[in-house]
Amino acid sequence: MSLRVLNPNAEVLNKSAALHMNINAAKGLQDVLKTNLGPKGTIKMLVGGAGDIKLTKDGNTLLKEMQIQNPTAVMIARTAVAQDDTSGDGTTSTVIFIGELMKQSERYIDEGMHPRVLVDGFDIAKRATLEFLENFKTHVVMGETPDKEILKMVGRTTLRTKLYEALADQLSDIVVNAVLCVRKPEEPIDLFMVEIMHMRHKFDVDTRLIEGLVLDHGSRHPDMKRRAENCYILTCNVSLEYEKSEVNAGFFYSTAEQRETMVTAERRQVDEKVLQIIELKNKVCSDNESNFVVINQKGIDPPSLDLLARAGIIALRRAKRRNMERLVLACGGEAVNSVDNLTPDCLGWAGLVYEHVLGEEKYTFVENVKNPHSCTILIKGPNDHTIAQIKDAIRDGLRSIKNTLEDEAVVLGAGAFEVAARQHLINNVKKTVQGRAQVGIEAFADALLVVPKTLAENSGLDTQDVIISLKNEHENGNIVGLNHHTGEPIDPQMEGIFDNYSVKRQIINSVPVIASQLLLVDEVIRAGRNMRKPS
Amino acid sequence: MVFHKQPYGIQGLLKEGHKHLSGLDEAVLKNIDACKQLTLITRTSLGPNGMNKMIINHLDKLFVTNDAATIVNELEVQHPAAKILVLAGKAQQEEIGDGANLTISFAGEILQNAEELIRTGLHPSEIISGYTKAINKTIELLEEVVEEGSENMDVRNKDEVVSRMKATVSSKRFGEEDILCPLIADACIQVCPKNPANFNVDNVRIAKLVGGGLHNCSVVRGMILKNDAIGSIKKVEKAKIVVFTGGVDTSATETKGTVLIQNAEQLEKYAKTEEAKVEELIKAVADSGAKVVVSGAAVGEMALHFCERYKLMLLKISSKFELRRFCRTTGAVALLKLSPPNPDNLGYADSVSVEEIGGARVTIVKNDEAGNSVTTVVLRGSTDSILDDLERAVDDGVNTYKAMCRDSRILPGAAATEIELARKLKEFSFKETGLDQYAIAKFAESFEMVPKILADNAGLNAMEIISSLYAEHAAGNTKVGIDIEEGVCKDVSTLTIWDLYVTKFFALKYATDAACNVLRVDQIIMSKPAGGPKRDQPAGMDED
Repeated sequence: MSLRVLNPNAEVLNKSAALHMNINAAKGLQDVLKTNLGPKGTIKMLVGGAGDIKLTKDGNTLLKEMQIQNPTAVMIARTAVAQDDTSGDGTTSTVIFIGELMKQSERYIDEGMHPRVLVDGFDIAKRATLEFLENFKTHVVMGETPDKEILKMVGRTTLRTKLYEALADQLSDIVVNAVLCVRKPEEPIDLFMVEIMHMRHKFDVDTRLIEGLVLDHGSRHPDMKRRAENCYILTCNVSLEYEKSEVNAGFFYSTAEQRETMVTAERRQVDEKVLQIIELKNKVCSDNESNFVVINQKGIDPPSLDLLARAGIIALRRAKRRNMERLVLACGGEAVNSVDNLTPDCLGWAGLVYEHVLGEEKYTFVENVKNPHSCTILIKGPNDHTIAQIKDAIRDGLRSIKNTLEDEAVVLGAGAFEVAARQHLINNVKKTVQGRAQVGIEAFADALLVVPKTLAENSGLDTQDVIISLKNEHENGNIVGLNHHTGEPIDPQMEGIFDNYSVKRQIINSVPVIASQLLLVDEVIRAGRNMRKPS
Repeated sequence: MVFHKQPYGIQGLLKEGHKHLSGLDEAVLKNIDACKQLTLITRTSLGPNGMNKMIINHLDKLFVTNDAATIVNELEVQHPAAKILVLAGKAQQEEIGDGANLTISFAGEILQNAEELIRTGLHPSEIISGYTKAINKTIELLEEVVEEGSENMDVRNKDEVVSRMKATVSSKRFGEEDILCPLIADACIQVCPKNPANFNVDNVRIAKLVGGGLHNCSVVRGMILKNDAIGSIKKVEKAKIVVFTGGVDTSATETKGTVLIQNAEQLEKYAKTEEAKVEELIKAVADSGAKVVVSGAAVGEMALHFCERYKLMLLKISSKFELRRFCRTTGAVALLKLSPPNPDNLGYADSVSVEEIGGARVTIVKNDEAGNSVTTVVLRGSTDSILDDLERAVDDGVNTYKAMCRDSRILPGAAATEIELARKLKEFSFKETGLDQYAIAKFAESFEMVPKILADNAGLNAMEIISSLYAEHAAGNTKVGIDIEEGVCKDVSTLTIWDLYVTKFFALKYATDAACNVLRVDQIIMSKPAGGPKRDQPAGMDED
């Protein structure tokens, strides 16, 4: 180059070099993530900067925690994370699908094909696949009382890819019940109403669903009851502590008596609020069989706690805001912002409130509520990494149930859809297209097979055998998936392996887009200083 | 151009300083190796004849102990796989409070055996499924080995408690269990509530006082406060007690107060009213019958003066938790601020006295009457590290008591259970047909680790012991274990060495879980260690 246009430190890659960098990055990322896919995927251990351990099989977690630097890989990772944000699952599939598309394209490009032609083919294939998906999906009617069995199957399919089998089966019941609990007719499902709480205690299989709420703090007064039955619950957001005036105020006194009166006057305001609560308690709990619990979002200072404790009221202070919402949904009543004119209608009800102490931590359980619209999944596990793993899995499980309820449809899993879609593309779609775009469709169709291929690979089966037997079955018109234990074709419907419709749709939608973009890059310029120090 | 030279695969994608290990050789076997190294450290501490370790942690604190939980805690294990084992040990310590060593050593042992299996060609996933089957079977078998009739025990019967506690305590302080166990048992039984399941470990306190020796250790019904009384009254008996969480002083407003004084006369008058006020309060306290005043915060000079005048003993307990315990001990209800107490709120103690033990002044609060719920084990020893170790032994003993309150089932100790499990599990493995059987057989073999280490640590011939144990067990003497003192195999029911079922249950379960977790990992991605403040020396385990 006779004249440099760019900063001498800038790096330029052009034409095939740029393309190959992209392809290599995509393949590299695929290599990392592909062992994650499916129930037989292996676990990765991530060690953070501070030496903290995370064990995960979840593609999303992995992408977030691995500090990826390569620009292409970052783009792919973002697409995958976006996949997770919209549909809650399918991150790994997205990444390996992108990688495979690039890999297939590489072959054709090396033979002299222009990327643009491939991209055109991708586009046609994408639209055809989406149409095919519409016909392929299985409708599920989700009326007032959805079919729990189907939901459990969907939950199980998702969870088994994140956790080991026994635990996944147990959790799938939990997530289904949790979602159905917070589901209200005519309203979108708000998964935030499922509180996820964890305790470092016992084993992972002790994880359970609590119809009610678990708060991660306890009462702060030693004389309050640790366990109470038939409780009225007052959810409030009232400060029960003395607050200093905003302006700089001071007292002037000249005798000790004067000071004493000032001390009492100062307390009076707060005490009055407390007395109002106590009054309400005496009104509703006159029969001595019921108890009264105050859960306050703001603080309660020691003198007020003392007053409440003497009146036999259990008081919790500084509850989380989101829990206030959930409490009302779980126990009924309403959250009050002022203690004036309290009526029994504001109160919620719970059959059992108790405190559980675990080492230094205190937990308050609000259980046996009537007709709850909020619930808690209490995760237990012996150590933090187990808990984190379960937490991620539960989040995905909840999302998958929610998706099913909203889609009112599921897709046959275990690779059945991918094989069927490929069949459709090759047999039907390819013939309708003229010219070189056919190649793009072919590449797309072959890339779809990466899902069953990887499933087979991770289960230690012979990839080619599996693919051929699956293809044959599909040729004969049987829709089958892969049994990862034996490598034989199975009917996913019989085995109860269902994927989310929206997840699959999102994958088919986003993957060709990002792959096309990467293929169409013909120049990469890294500006300015070199971030990677030459070594 | 650097772009061109980018390595293919994951290395090129990540930030510099990343480490990436994958595959069988690089990840799985290395992980196993690291865990093995860790267990090499802990296993010599297993059992009564276990060796002590001397550890100096990053704060230059010295530990001399054979308590595995403490050892691994202070080691600052860096390797991620070894850390999983450490976490399993910690979980055991938190859950039961004992058996951490068994957890770590056993996990290390089954991992070591897994390595052999991997080398012969088994896939880790097959080993995991075999181990999972094995542990489930083990749990079943464990139920069978449980000593009959032990599920019902009287947790208030000292002899029964001592027999269950002995194995635990002797593994920490061998030879001293005959003195320590009765002490711990006494202390625990005294505070055991009506429903034993509600037993609270916190109610058994430990006071460590340098000086004296093991024979000076004792149990005090009540509490020992490690400070002096404030006033001149050092001893009262049969006293009523009033507790204030706030300070014993003149009351103050939250808002800033200013005394408005215009002339000298007012100043004098103010001081007088102040005095009168305090006197009035203290007098009211004295009139209520209280003889001891306990303050949770500062005690004012003036208040002290009047307390002296009304012959009130003044104590200061600044820890909130200590104050709560004090309330529990004496049955007092803590009052927020200095005010005339209600008779219901007064507590009672048989005696409150300041004594000098080993050069330190301590306040002993005794309460023999019913209603007391806190006891203190007074430990005496010549050095701090001995006291610390004694404390850990007592802690373990108390935790064992708690565990037996929940589940009193016992198993034969001294490796009898392990051999029995190994034997039965081996039989089970022969019945399995798949590749699992190899893993199950190895799992069974792993149990031999316990008698092996016990024998090794006691200087006996391990192989001989194990073979004779197997012979005895095969002959139907399922309760035969090692008598390490005589170096022979004996029926443990004659030796009265019993282990708690729950301890073993959790230890084995946690160990297997941790080991399976380690085996499941096939890739490790380590980010660059975060830059923190530099230590003087690099924290490394290799450097001895």
